[in-house]
Amino acid sequence: MAESVASQSPSLSEQYHLEKEVKQDTSAKPVEVAPEVTATQAEEVTTDKASEESPAEEAVGEKSESPPASEEAPKEAPAAAVEDNVDETPAAVEESNEEVVEETPDEIKLETAPADFRFPTTNQTRHCFTRYIEYHRCVAAKGDEAPECDKFAKFYRSLCPGEWVDKWNEQRENGTFPGPL
Amino acid sequence: MIVLKWLFLTISPCDAAEPWQLGSQDAATPIMQGIIDLHHDIFFFLILILVFVLWILVRALWHFHYKENAIPQRIVHGTTIEILRTIFPSLISMFIAIPSFALLYSMDEVVVDPAITIKAIGHQWYWTYEYSDYNSSDEQSLTFDSYMIPEEDLELGQSRLLEVDNRVVVPAKTHLRIIVTSADVPHSWAVPSSGVKCDAVPGRLNQISILVQREGVYYGQCSEICGTNHAFTPIVVEAVPRKDYGSRVSNQLIPQTGEA
Ligand SMILES: [Cu+2]
Repeated sequence: MAESVASQSPSLSEQYHLEKEVKQDTSAKPVEVAPEVTATQAEEVTTDKASEESPAEEAVGEKSESPPASEEAPKEAPAAAVEDNVDETPAAVEESNEEVVEETPDEIKLETAPADFRFPTTNQTRHCFTRYIEYHRCVAAKGDEAPECDKFAKFYRSLCPGEWVDKWNEQRENGTFPGPL
Repeated sequence: MIVLKWLFLTISPCDAAEPWQLGSQDAATPIMQGIIDLHHDIFFFLILILVFVLWILVRALWHFHYKENAIPQRIVHGTTIEILRTIFPSLISMFIAIPSFALLYSMDEVVVDPAITIKAIGHQWYWTYEYSDYNSSDEQSLTFDSYMIPEEDLELGQSRLLEVDNRVVVPAKTHLRIIVTSADVPHSWAVPSSGVKCDAVPGRLNQISILVQREGVYYGQCSEICGTNHAFTPIVVEAVPRKDYGSRVSNQLIPQTGEA
């Protein structure tokens, strides 16, 4: 448990950086400093992983192959890669400890929406709602099928009850959705 | 404990309430361990105070019996004793409050990112569980209802009013996020051995984070009066080894959602 905590603790602050970035993307130009920061963080994570010698080569592979999709993407791509990495690290570390059969991680990867410092309380209603809005803003800004929006979709699906998502989807179709899109 | 079990001829196959149970159920999470420890800590002070007060009471009754000593001393003021009996109780309540608040805030705190999210949605009168971490679209792939098994359908060894048809399967030794909400009236999702009791409020998502430390089957009940069948809305959490969780979820739960 200790090493998973250690490997995760920096991830939360990175997480927070990412959210800000995305919001800026939708509204205005992204900040120029951010890509450098995230790039160095990504490097750090990679070196960490390499030293651990865990079955995380696949993860590293995934990260390097994730291509910049749109024009704005170069700023976003390293960030998304860090995110992927961060989500996989605890699972990868613990699974290597327990010597899992090869097939199980393929079937189901244990990962979910991370803890978010904007929503530190028991009440997570806004967390779900915000993730839903973030996803649809991201899609509106980058177009459908933009790979960097997928994580938001995962997050809101993890957090929101299916009934709520159905209702909101319906409201968006009818143009009666109450949130800022 | 074993002697007690022989005495009452009870068996405890799982983490459920036992007949004539006096204490808490065995802890399955660090939170429950903390609650039990706090209870014992406070009980130490409680018994000290109880003995002291009883001693004073009995002594007063004994020495100032109306036949023995009909007219007691007429003391109306004593500075020393008044200072003592103000400061000492406040010190005691401070000693109780400090660990209590520490535990209270640590229960709310989400220390690490959870590995899975499970949504528990209360209904009149059953629970619905959604495992949505693995969805690739807005369609729910892993959702099932958990109804109580009626008394006539119980098999030998199953607990009356506690067993359900579909248990919540969770991985042990893993950080879980459980999102509790309701679709109709307020319910409450409670599992005593995991130290969790969380209100399920319609229109609101309440989060609890737990870490089940050992594999097992944990029983709980709806803990908010929610209507006629409130007493028949149990909760069963089955913690399986982490490496079995993936196959359990993908093999066992998907067919069940098909028939439901
Ligand atoms: Cu209920």
